[in-house]
Amino acid sequence: MEGCSRNGEICPKLLNLIPQGRRNWLQDDKTSVYSTEEKKLELKLGPPGGEEDEDGTSILRRIKRESKDKSILCLAGNHFSPSSTTNKTTSHKRTAPGPVVGWPPVRSFRKNLVNGSASKLGNESTSKNQKCDDESGRGKTMEPKREGGMFVKINMYGVPIGRKVDLSAHNSYEQLSFTVDKLFRGLLAAQRESSSFGEEEKPITGLLDGNGEYTLTYEDNEGDKMLVGDVPWHMFVSSVKRLRVIKSSEISSALTYGNGKQEKMRS
Amino acid sequence: MSEDESPPLDLRPEPPCSSSSAVDSTPNKSRNCISSSTASQTFPDHVLENVLENVLQFLDSRCDRNAASLVCKLWWKVEALTRSEVFIGNCYALSPARLTQRFKRVKSLVLKGKPRFADFNLMPPDWGANFAPWVSTMAKAYPWLEKVDLKRIFVTDDDLALVAESFPGFKELILVCCEGFGTSGIAIVANKCRKLKVLDLIESEVTDDEVDWISCFPEDVTCLESLAFDCVEAPINFKALEGLVGRSPFLKKLRLNRFVSLEELHRLLLGAPQLTSLGTGSFSHDNEAHHQSEQEPDYAAAFLACKSVVCLSGFRELMPEYLPAIFPVCANLTSLNFSYANISPDMFKPIIHKCHKLQVFWALDSICDEGLQAVAATCKELRELRIFPFDPREDSEGPVSELGLQAISEGCRKLESILYFCQRMTNAAVIAMSENCPELTVFRLCIMGRHRPDHVTGKPMDEGFGAIVKNCKKLTRLAVSGLLTDQAFRYMGEYGKLIRTLSVAFAGDSDMALRHVLEGCPRLQKLEIRDSPFGDVALRSGMHRYYNMRFVWMSACSLSKGCCKDVARAMPNLVVEVIGSDDDDDNRDYVETLYMYRSLDGPRKDAPKFPLLREKAPCISDRSCSEVEQAWVCLQYQRRYSSLEPLRGGTGGVKAISNYGLVLEGMRRAKARGFSDVSH
Repeated sequence: MEGCSRNGEICPKLLNLIPQGRRNWLQDDKTSVYSTEEKKLELKLGPPGGEEDEDGTSILRRIKRESKDKSILCLAGNHFSPSSTTNKTTSHKRTAPGPVVGWPPVRSFRKNLVNGSASKLGNESTSKNQKCDDESGRGKTMEPKREGGMFVKINMYGVPIGRKVDLSAHNSYEQLSFTVDKLFRGLLAAQRESSSFGEEEKPITGLLDGNGEYTLTYEDNEGDKMLVGDVPWHMFVSSVKRLRVIKSSEISSALTYGNGKQEKMRS
Repeated sequence: MSEDESPPLDLRPEPPCSSSSAVDSTPNKSRNCISSSTASQTFPDHVLENVLENVLQFLDSRCDRNAASLVCKLWWKVEALTRSEVFIGNCYALSPARLTQRFKRVKSLVLKGKPRFADFNLMPPDWGANFAPWVSTMAKAYPWLEKVDLKRIFVTDDDLALVAESFPGFKELILVCCEGFGTSGIAIVANKCRKLKVLDLIESEVTDDEVDWISCFPEDVTCLESLAFDCVEAPINFKALEGLVGRSPFLKKLRLNRFVSLEELHRLLLGAPQLTSLGTGSFSHDNEAHHQSEQEPDYAAAFLACKSVVCLSGFRELMPEYLPAIFPVCANLTSLNFSYANISPDMFKPIIHKCHKLQVFWALDSICDEGLQAVAATCKELRELRIFPFDPREDSEGPVSELGLQAISEGCRKLESILYFCQRMTNAAVIAMSENCPELTVFRLCIMGRHRPDHVTGKPMDEGFGAIVKNCKKLTRLAVSGLLTDQAFRYMGEYGKLIRTLSVAFAGDSDMALRHVLEGCPRLQKLEIRDSPFGDVALRSGMHRYYNMRFVWMSACSLSKGCCKDVARAMPNLVVEVIGSDDDDDNRDYVETLYMYRSLDGPRKDAPKFPLLREKAPCISDRSCSEVEQAWVCLQYQRRYSSLEPLRGGTGGVKAISNYGLVLEGMRRAKARGFSDVSH
């Protein structure tokens, strides 16, 4: 979101508002906070008194609020909500120091895509910040993060649907080869239903030694296509970006041609 | 929704004509039941039930159905048997089990998840609204399910696979503003749902799994009537698409994504003249193909052949010099969406002057006030207008203003719905619209600069919005902006008799504003407020009505946790979700976001574990300041208090509300173990 990227730039200046000694307030005040918290734990049967401002906290509150603006995914981290507890009547007199998360309320895909058309027509100059929107807007795209898993995509020749394999759950190439067989054996058999009668599911073997019908290859972090099995396992895991199971007969051609998406799709 | 009561088991013989379940749950004085009753004693009830079933099956409106179900137990039962489409406005208002227990013959489900402000990054990711529990429950209960329509729901590829596997007669999949899935999930649906008629992906985030999902549709003739994938940010196999369109004789609606070029569109149109709704893809040409071909295809001729197109959208990467190609269809258009097309007034006017029948028009503000004046001059049938900002920043230029709004109000008297982004506005123009357009049901004005007054008079925008609520008697949805005092809200509370949805941002002076709304607006269902100075007093003033609302959202207001606790305690069927900052100290009582909603099944079990969010800011090295941890708390007070369950925090920052009296000791113990607070 626009607001967030801008806040990223502004941040260092805001932090200068916090005097050096007070920047570790979280740590310093822990003990004193503990006791105030205990005090708060004491039974209060009356209405909660949480709104009362303790002395000297309003500044801290505002500063703390500002610290939230750093995060790209922060929630409504704007600069003037804290004062609302104390200045109820002057809300409309606040001047906005900077942009705000989620305002104006335009969905991120509308911001991103407008960028494309702007380059074609010089109607209005594209704002520089739109580029940042692109990233933060797209960065918001939630591919659900699974904790600890290292999932890479794996596609197999002849099977239109890809799978994902968790490399962190494997320790060796043999294990990986076994998993590939498990993932694709059924799918491959389903693809071949029309050609062969009977539901025989042939195991997928010889992925690593070049002897089988299929061979396992991968794309590394430099974009190069490689045969699986040459380097130690841990080195492989650290550089692999995606996997592909190709026909052994196609090894030379598959590895030399580029991986343009368009090429693949326009086949 | 009425509460379930567990019904007595009635061992009456199965009525011959009705196909209801064997367990008859209707208590009735004439049937006392455990022993078998004579036929004569039960005959009238059979008849009544059958008659009712035959009558109630014609009820479509869910409001009517809800009313019918409240008449008596028999009507409740029969209505439940005959309801085939269920609408659930908040997926957390009830559990999937409750749905399947009550309604046995559901063919269609409409389900909504996150609140709208989630679209603007005001909610943490992984907040919830997962489709998984719904689909797994329905897979067993409704094998005949035909339609699923989801909005702001988190759907995974596995969920889509389950849909494809579990429902052999599945016909319609509509995903609006959803995320969590990719092209591989779509591929499975395309491949396995042989009766698929509608596959609409609208404004959803679809990850590119590099799967050729278009090729996954079956080879034979399809039942497809609607295929919309304009939001899919992935290239597609055009040849496969062409083949698909060729073997889909019933296809009426086709919305292409921006990876389809103008040449490709041309080929598709030639093969599908029966289309009524078209999303044109990029509307620019593929550079390579363009240079290779000697002669440019006759795009206008292709459009001319599409006599049935009434709804046009797309133009994702528009090359405006090709826009005249759409001239042949303009006269028939009832809906035109230019909201991705950055076109100037000069390019726009020749087009709009042909669109006499236009009823729905979406565009960017690049058409300027001048363009809006052209709309007003031509589009006398206009019902819905949406003007989006090309440059959505607070301090951007803002090419549309009160002039455009005024013109529209004078030219388009039948206007019912408007969404208008601008940088400057006057009360006079808004008042004019309220007087000229009595049919308005939706009025959403977004003055992008916060707290901006009327730029001519310098006064707040109170009178303008006041006139809208006073004069537009049919108004059901209102979104306000600009400089607004409590007076504006007084008007809303007093005159907004039919308002169901209200969106407020950066407005109001005090609690009185929100009190006006909560004490007025009798039909209010959805209330979303951000960055406004409303506090505990205001929140408490609405307690008499929160059970009658779908949800209340308040973020960056002045609420305290104590008050939220009180509300939760007083209203056991209200789920109160609170986000506060994680830091332990003085701020612990501040409520960053409050999202509360009624629920029959208590607080959800899938509330995100925290730390929900941990972002290391690049400029801060001090760890304690840099980690922003959001604490997420679900509050639900039962009449009896159950045992404690400490919530695990990250770096010692767990925010929670609890019932102090009984748990003080437990809290001390938990604290000793490093939790800052516990809840139950």
